[in-house]
Formats: sequence, C-alpha cells, structure tokens
Amino acid sequence: MTQTLCDTVELVIPCRPEYVGVARLAVLGIASRMPFSYDEVEDVRLAVGEACTHAVERAGDTSAQIKIVSTIDSVALVIEVIDDVPVGTEPVVQSEDAQLLEAAGVDQQGLGALLMEILVDEVKITSSETGTSVRLTKFAPE
Amino acid sequence: MNLTINSRTPNETTRILEIEGEIDVYTSPQLKQEIVKLAEGGVKHLIINLSKVEYLDSTGLGVLIGGLKRLREAEGNLVLVGPALRILRIFEITGLDKIFDIYATEEDAAAKEGVSL
Repeated sequence: MTQTLCDTVELVIPCRPEYVGVARLAVLGIASRMPFSYDEVEDVRLAVGEACTHAVERAGDTSAQIKIVSTIDSVALVIEVIDDVPVGTEPVVQSEDAQLLEAAGVDQQGLGALLMEILVDEVKITSSETGTSVRLTKFAPE
Repeated sequence: MNLTINSRTPNETTRILEIEGEIDVYTSPQLKQEIVKLAEGGVKHLIINLSKVEYLDSTGLGVLIGGLKRLREAEGNLVLVGPALRILRIFEITGLDKIFDIYATEEDAAAKEGVSL
C-alpha cells in the first residue's frame, strides 16, 4: 500500500518494564502500514523495544514517561522514542549482572545499541537535560 | 505478555528449561532468578529450550550471557536449543552465536554435552 500522505501516530506510556510490550504491539500495527516484509516489521519492533528498554533502564523508579511518535510516508517509517529521564539522573548502582557481563566482555546497553544500528537504517540519539530521544528510520523498499 | 518456564530434571546436575513467550525487560528478571537459583543449587548443565520463544531482546541476551558465565565458572555449561530463525538471527547479528553452543534438539545438546536425558 503506497501512502501519499504523511501520517503521524503518537503513543505515551509509563517508562516502566511492563509497558514496553504495549509499545511493541503498537509498532507492529504501525510498521504494517508500510510495504515491509515480515522480517523488516520484526526488525522495527525489536529496535523500538530496545529504545524503550534503554529509557526504562535509566528511569529507575520514577514517574517518567515515554512518548513514541511514528511518522509514516512513502519514503520511510520514522519512529522517535522520547523519554523525560534527565541525563545524569540514571541509577549508578551496577547490578551483579552488569558486572558479570562486563567480565564476559559484553556491555548490555552496548548490545541494545548494536541491535538498533543493525535492525534499522538510521539511528540518531540526542540527549539533553530534559531527556533522551532515539530516532529510528527504516526506509521503504525500493 | 508473559513468560512461562517449565523445568525438567533428567539428572541431579542437569536441568532443561523450556521457555515460552517473550523475553524482554519485563520478563527477563524471572528467567535470571531461575538460572541463578539453579546455578547456586549445584546444577552444572543447563539446557535452555528456546523453541517457543517469540521475542528476545538485549536484556534476555544479557541474562543468558550471565548464566553462561556462571555455569562455565562452575565447570558446567549453558546451552541453547531450537531457537526459531528469527531468534537465531539475533544471536548471529550480535556475534553471540560464537559464544553459545546452540543445538537443534535437546537430544543433540545432551549428546554433545555428554549428559544423559
């Protein structure tokens, strides 16, 4: 289905683990508006999941929110995952898991970033005092 | 949006965990708890059947890597069985397929790991 217009869908969820699945479900519907293959839709879903996870892990026990703004047109699907977790307020306590992973030479947050880079065409991360935005772009097939 | 873990005990030091559902930031703590409990309880060989897992993200990968490290330090192993192509691809693109032993079936895993089912 070719879109001639540019459609925007916005979703706001609490920045907590139990809501990341809700974002993934919504993205499944949104990505299905594009002429993507099954695998490409799944790639977008996982990339958005990783962007939300990154926000959730930094938010800790706060009342932060995640806003997911999806823009659909004939050229690309752009999904921006915006949180209001101020940079520098992240919990600094390193979990035992993080230490284990570090010892194994794996940085879990690095894994999330790596996945996003591989799964979509463009990733742009912007952080400010008010929060972080992860902008994911997946171009429509030629 | 949940995770079910079925545990089977073929012998004292071996466990098979059959996981069903989605492993993400919400559900991975449940899996981590189970793996840590088994490792601390003296389990050496953990066979994790992923054939019914529909979604796996970096937090799930993190838990599996943590478990692998724990068990290898105890001179055991954590191996993976039967991931769908989509899930296998996540291991391949992150290079983790070179770190984990991934088998098609539980029987293959048991034979290669030298444990009886």
